Amino acid sequence: MSVLSVDLFIAALRLATPIALVAVGETFSELAGVINVGVEGITVAGALVAAMVAFFTQSPWLALAAAVAVGMVLGALHALWSVYLRADHVVSGVAVNLLVAGFALFSTRIIWGWRGTSAAAPTLNPWFLVGAMLAVVAIAQVFIFRTPWGLRLRVVGEHPRAADTAGINVYRARLLFTVVNGALCGLAGAFLFNNLGRFTDGMVGGRGFIGIAAMVVGNYRPLPALLAAYLFGFVDALQMRLQAYIPSQFSLMLPYILTVVVLAGFLGRAKVPKALGKPYVKERG
Amino acid sequence: MRWLREAGPVVGAIALALGVGAAVCAVAGYSVPAVYRELVRGAFGGRYQLFQTLTQATPILFTSLSFVIAFRCGLFNIGAEGQLYVGAFAAAWAGFTLELPPVLHTVVCLLFGAVAGGLWGLVPGWLRARRGANEFVTTMMLSYVAIYLTSWLVSPRGPYHGTQWANQTVRILRSAELPRFMAGAQLSWGIAVGAMVAVLVWYFIFRTPRGYQIRAVGQNPQAAEYGGIDVSGSMILALTLAGALAGLGGAAEILGTHRRFIEFFSPGYGWDGIAGGLIARAHPIAAILAAILMGALRAGGMAIDRAGVAPADLAAVIQGIVILFVVAPELIRWLRRVRLPRSDHVRAER
Repeated sequence: MSVLSVDLFIAALRLATPIALVAVGETFSELAGVINVGVEGITVAGALVAAMVAFFTQSPWLALAAAVAVGMVLGALHALWSVYLRADHVVSGVAVNLLVAGFALFSTRIIWGWRGTSAAAPTLNPWFLVGAMLAVVAIAQVFIFRTPWGLRLRVVGEHPRAADTAGINVYRARLLFTVVNGALCGLAGAFLFNNLGRFTDGMVGGRGFIGIAAMVVGNYRPLPALLAAYLFGFVDALQMRLQAYIPSQFSLMLPYILTVVVLAGFLGRAKVPKALGKPYVKERG
Repeated sequence: MRWLREAGPVVGAIALALGVGAAVCAVAGYSVPAVYRELVRGAFGGRYQLFQTLTQATPILFTSLSFVIAFRCGLFNIGAEGQLYVGAFAAAWAGFTLELPPVLHTVVCLLFGAVAGGLWGLVPGWLRARRGANEFVTTMMLSYVAIYLTSWLVSPRGPYHGTQWANQTVRILRSAELPRFMAGAQLSWGIAVGAMVAVLVWYFIFRTPRGYQIRAVGQNPQAAEYGGIDVSGSMILALTLAGALAGLGGAAEILGTHRRFIEFFSPGYGWDGIAGGLIARAHPIAAILAAILMGALRAGGMAIDRAGVAPADLAAVIQGIVILFVVAPELIRWLRRVRLPRSDHVRAER
C-alpha cells in the first residue's frame, strides 16, 4: 500500500484549498440569493492576474492583493448583471467564464508570447494560503450562524421582502456577498498560481464547478463544505499517485466522476434558499 | 416585424462589443484599423475565406442548437464539448469499422455520433430529473470524462491507436466521408446537414406537441406539471436531444473535415455553442446566423494571426464581450414589462 501514506492526506488538504475557498464564497452569494457559476472564470482570472503582477513587480504579496481585487471586480460585474440588470444568473455567470477564457489566452500571448502559459514568477509558500483558507472557513462558519449579519444574510436569500421590510437593502446585500464570493475565488486563483509558480491555461480545470458541488454537499454550511472539498482534494491527490498504476486518462477522470456521483445526491441533498436565483423587485410605495 | 425587434438589441450589442474590442486592441498596442480590416477580410474577403468561415461555423451550429434545445426546457447544457467528442469518436469508429455503400455509410456514421452524444446527454438529464443534480455542473464534469476517455482510446495504450506519429485513429473509409464542396477547401456538406437540422429543431420546438411540452417546462415547470405535462420526461428528452445534436456536430466534423478521430481536435466548439445559442436568443434559425458570426470570428482571428497584426485570441476576447452585452439588453427589456425571467422556478427548486 505505497499509495496510501501520510503524504497523501497532507497533499489532499493542499489540493482541497481552492475548492474550499470557492465553496465558501459560493455559500455566501447563494445564501444571499445569487447563483454564481462564474466562479470558474473568476478563479482563472485570479490565477492569471497573480501571475502577471508577480511577474512584473516581483512581489508575491502585491500579486495576492491583485488577485483578490480582480475577483471582487468580476464578482461586482456578475452582481451588476444578475441583481441590478436581472440577467438570468447562470447566463451571466457563463458570460463571465467565456470572457475570462478569452482574456487569458490573449493576455498570456501578448505578455509572454506563449498561448495560455505565463513565465515563472516569485511565489508565496502555498501553505500560507492553506492556513488562510482554514481561517476563512472558520470565520465564515461563525459569521453565518453566530452573528446578526449572518442572520440578515440568510433572510435576504430566504425571504427578501421580509428583509426589505426590516430595513435591509436587499440589492446592496446581494452585491456585497457576490463581491465577497469573487474575492474568495480570486484567492483560490492566487493559491493555484502560488502552488505551481506560473499560470497555465486549464490549471483551474473545473475546480470552480467542483467548488459549487462541494457547497451543495456542504448544504450551505462552511465547515461541512470544507469536508466535502477535502474529499475532492483527496481524490485529486489519489489520482496523481494512481497514474503509476492505471492510464493517466482514467485517474484524471476520477474527480469529475466523483462530482457527478456526489451531485446525484448519494451523499444527501441540500436545502436551497427559497429566493435563490430569483430577482427581487422592490415595491414602489 | 417581431424578429426585427428581437434582432435589434442583439445587433446593437454586437456593434458595442466590437467597439470595446477596438479599445482593448488599442490598449494592447495594436493598430485598430489594421486588425479589423484583416478580421473582416479573413472572414469574408473571398470564396476561400468565406468557405473557411463556414467550415468553422459548422460544428458551432450543431453545438449552438444543442444549447438552444436544452435552454428551451429551462436547462443549461454546458457540456456540449464532451458530447461532441463522444459523437466524433463513435462516428469515426463506425466510419472505419463498418462496410456499407457510400451515402448510407455516411448516414449511419452520423447516427452513431448522434446516439453516442445522446447517451452523454441522457445521463445528466436523468440525474437532473430524478435526482435533482445540477445539470450545468454534471454536463461540465462529464465533458472532462469524455475528453479523457476518447484521449485514452487513441493513446498508445488504448485500443484504437491508429498511427505511430500521433494519437488518432486510422482513416475512415471513403464511403463514410461527407463530401467537400471544392478541392483545396475544407468546407463539407456538414454545413448543409447543419442547416437542415436547424430547421428540424425549429419544427420540433415550435410545431410538435413534444416541443410544446419542452417549452412549457422551460417557461414554468409547476404550471406545466398542473397542466399534466411530464416534466421529468421533458427534461430528460431535452438534454438527450441536446447531447445528440452536439454528437452529430462531432460526427460531421470527423466525416467532413478530419476524416479520422484525433485527440483534443476541438478548439472549443462546445463553448462557442453556448455563445452562439445565447446570441441567437435560443432560436434555432437565428442560431445559423450566430454560428456564422462565431465562425467568422474564428476564421478572421486566424487571419489576423497569420498577417501578424494581432494574436488570434483577440477574437475570443471580442466573443466574450459580445456575450456579456447580448445578455444585458434582454434584461433591459424585461425591466420595461416587469416580468420574471423564465428560469426562476427551475433554478429555485434545484
